[in-house]
Amino acid sequence: MAFTPKERVLKQLAGEEIDRVPCYSGMGNVTVAGLEQLGYKFAMVHGDAEMMANLAATSYKLYGYECAVVPFDFCVEAEALGCVMNAYENVAHLLYPTIKEKAIEDEEMLDKFPIPDDLANAGRVPVVVEAIKRLKGEFGDEVPIGTYFLGPFTLGGQVYDLDKMLKYAFKKQDLISAMLDRLADVLIRVAKIYQDAGADYITVREMGSGTDLLSPRLWKALIKPHLVKIFEALKEMGIPNNLHICGETNMIIKDMNECGADSMSVELKNDVAKSREDIGTEPLIFGNLDAYKLLVVDPAEAVEGAVINALDQGVDAIWPGCDIWPEAKPENVKALVQATEKHGAAKWFRKK
Amino acid sequence: MSERTDELFGKLKQGVIDFDEDGVIEAANAVVDEGIDAVEAVFNGLVPGMEHVGELYEQQEYFVPELLMCADAMYAGLEILRPHMTRKSLGVTGVVVMGVVQGDVHDIGKNIVKMMFDVAGFEVHDLGRDVPLEVFVEEQLRTDAELVCLSAMMTTTMVGMKDIIKQIKEKNPNARVMIGGAPVTEDIADKFGADGFAEDASNALKDAINMLTTLKKIKDEADSA
Ligand code: B12
Repeated sequence: MAFTPKERVLKQLAGEEIDRVPCYSGMGNVTVAGLEQLGYKFAMVHGDAEMMANLAATSYKLYGYECAVVPFDFCVEAEALGCVMNAYENVAHLLYPTIKEKAIEDEEMLDKFPIPDDLANAGRVPVVVEAIKRLKGEFGDEVPIGTYFLGPFTLGGQVYDLDKMLKYAFKKQDLISAMLDRLADVLIRVAKIYQDAGADYITVREMGSGTDLLSPRLWKALIKPHLVKIFEALKEMGIPNNLHICGETNMIIKDMNECGADSMSVELKNDVAKSREDIGTEPLIFGNLDAYKLLVVDPAEAVEGAVINALDQGVDAIWPGCDIWPEAKPENVKALVQATEKHGAAKWFRKK
Repeated sequence: MSERTDELFGKLKQGVIDFDEDGVIEAANAVVDEGIDAVEAVFNGLVPGMEHVGELYEQQEYFVPELLMCADAMYAGLEILRPHMTRKSLGVTGVVVMGVVQGDVHDIGKNIVKMMFDVAGFEVHDLGRDVPLEVFVEEQLRTDAELVCLSAMMTTTMVGMKDIIKQIKEKNPNARVMIGGAPVTEDIADKFGADGFAEDASNALKDAINMLTTLKKIKDEADSA
């Protein structure tokens, strides 16, 4: 029986058997080719649900990439809490949005910053909701509709300041923990809003917390409890999910696994074979392809080998390690999908 | 060096390593009160402290939070000692303009590089993150900086460095430009016309000192010719 991408992705997240690994992501995956086809400028799509949905649909349409994911930037939840973002409308080349005004300036407010009652209508949350609904309407039977938000610590860096968060992670751990707990509550509410809009799966991107930045000890003490809380809530809601962390994660993979997510995703810096030694074969691990070099710089011929290598290491889905870099070459993304179709059963350790 | 001097320098060093701000403050005040040379105290106390911290970071004994706290201890000492520094340093120093290029807010790495330059006695003008191209050029001219350090963590924003380097060199051919950040390589630095590149903060400082020493030599030779 042939699976649709939606069946393949969702059955796997539910722990059921599927035909081969899927090739998709829980993170941004738009390409310049998609933008050009639609005649859009990247800076314009973040605040317009129709453009956001149309653009998100291009990676499936152009390459057969097995998902549609919105949004594309890291500012949505932060704006809902009062930050102001910069989309760089006046810059000619493609830039990712950033926060230009922080919601929390004063340390006093860390554990008592205001949270809007009506989160569903705060900032650009309604834009993402509308985009999810549109995608669902367009091909929701066939393609899984994904969305994501930041983990509490990384979000804390957006609404306050990552440097200070890192410093206070030690000096004022209780205060930061109280802040993260508040942020976790916000994220759980946002998850419900996205689920109600029709999102099929959610990725929690705690990317500012890997061991490039935090020690494994601090990760366990400060980051993990809040992720446990979030994944318990997502489980309760019944929304399939993924925990993603960039950078080095081998030292924390056991703790990541204990957060209770349906799946985890890691980037190239994670030695997946080593992770399998540490946490066994049961957990779903997605990854760990280089989102930039392999798709933007390398020749398309290099892609197949990288896919085989990831499968040999023990991944359960071919995921780029972060957002696909927009300048990705169409032939490389196509090669990624094709190599997954070709080797995604034969070289997958669960089928071998 | 007297035993007492040794003891205080040791306390400065250990205080930085243990991120013991109070300990560093106490030792720095003692240095000043007892009339010990502040420059010596910085370069034989705080600097080796930070160097050791850099090693612990490389060995993954320390991570970014620890590094930032050591830096706080180091700055606390520097603040007390700086007004008493009759000469700026033991070797070459200079004025440095530093920042993360436009469209990029990844500034943790840049802050670590800045820290190394601060402790070594450079006058650092930190432009922060997401800095428009022309601001680097203007700031270099305004401060007459010998060195401009550009940081980028994304491939898209890294590309912007090329224009900045070109414009700085046009306006002031003597200014040196050093670039860094995760996507940057030696090769890219060459292609973009940068004078230097370093993988991490301690190498950034070493390279900068080398570069400026050479620059100074060239200038001196030109002056005496
Ligand atoms: C923390 C982080 C963030 C934080 C940044 C907060 C902050 N205040 O810095 C947040 C959450 C905001 C963020 C946002 C985004 N990020 Co980010 N982020 C990271 C992460 C996890 C860590 C970076 C870091 O701080 N490393 C630690 C420091 C100490 O190392 P470092 O920066 O390399 O610095 C050292 C050296 O490079 C060198 N150095 C640095 N600067 C200089 C300068 C000079 C002159 C010299 C000589 C040396 C030097 O010395 C430093 C100390 O030794 C990396 C992944 C990773 N693990 O690297 C991704 C990463 C950089 N992000 C990435 C992406 C894609 C994004 C987003 C586009 C995501 C999105 N969809 O919006 C946005 C972009 C926002 C923007 N426009 O800037 C990608 C970039 C891919 C690429 N190749 O271009 C990375 C690599 C993740 C990945 N695996 O793909 N991110």
